Amino acid sequence: MEGNIEELGRALSLIGYGLGAIGPGIGIGIVAGNAITAMARQPEMQGTIRTTMFLGIALTEALALIGFVLFFIASA
Amino acid sequence: MILATECDVANEVICAPADVTELFEFPTLFTIGGLEFSRTHILMLFTAFAAVAILYYGLRGQRLVPTKFGAAVEGLVGFVRDGIARDVIGPEGTRYVPYLMAMFFFILVGNLFEITPLINFPVTSRMAIPLFLALVTYVIFMFVGFAKNNFRFLIDTAWPKTVPIALRWLVGLIEVFSIFILRPITLAVRLFANMVAGHLMLTLLLTSGVIFIAAIPEIGLKGSIGVFWFGLGLFMFLLEILIGVLQAYIFTLLTAIYIESSIHFEH
Repeated sequence: MEGNIEELGRALSLIGYGLGAIGPGIGIGIVAGNAITAMARQPEMQGTIRTTMFLGIALTEALALIGFVLFFIASA
Repeated sequence: MILATECDVANEVICAPADVTELFEFPTLFTIGGLEFSRTHILMLFTAFAAVAILYYGLRGQRLVPTKFGAAVEGLVGFVRDGIARDVIGPEGTRYVPYLMAMFFFILVGNLFEITPLINFPVTSRMAIPLFLALVTYVIFMFVGFAKNNFRFLIDTAWPKTVPIALRWLVGLIEVFSIFILRPITLAVRLFANMVAGHLMLTLLLTSGVIFIAAIPEIGLKGSIGVFWFGLGLFMFLLEILIGVLQAYIFTLLTAIYIESSIHFEH
């Protein structure tokens, strides 16, 4: 019985990580897509746009990575 | 890799380490005055040494025409100075160039150890190292913020004047929480989790590839899936180079942005 609960906990943390990755996935898609649009419209601003894009990606990604770490904490 | 070769191929579950931390913890090698040294510590010292050595050999002896290596190092140094410090912080950014440079090169070398043959372990995947780097950044941008703006830094963050009064406490609460608590944590966790994920992925793909290929005589053609895993591992290998460089860049960029937001604090 105890083993089952442990297994269930692991499975739930895996599902939780999967759910947590949805939001950042959408977010990074929006950031990168808009950055590409901006670069196509103004190629001379490429450098600034790329910096800002990486920054946006890094900030969005943080949520998914926290989920990733929590997955290991919860399933350990 | 060592773990993988000890696994029993014939079993159904081919290789499952008892705990994922097994991949990141090494036995103590020797002790100096109560300090226990394991492979991680040695690699950490080696990282710092390698970063200094790269800068020294890249930049010593100013020539009219730099060597190829020197030109590459100069490019990186110029990138950190102009692309990160001066672009983000502004003219005052020159003061923070040494700190940003040290940070960038330490993290870059530490990250690239992940894909260096025979080392294959990113020192930045131990939480203590990114956490310490993030705490140093935290101390610096806190110090700069309070030194340049006195206690307006804290008060204006918690009670922003530009926001309608009904929402002021909520925005202030969120801002204080995100600036004073969340910033160092996310900064550290971002680097740490990226490196852990990369190391796990590489270990899993490459070792499972090797195990499956080695097991072809025993389990037949099913083992040929190992070729696919191994190829995927090699692809991840290339991706990890990109991620290692990108994470060093992002860590340094965010450090610069946090310092900038403390200097030009007028929201």
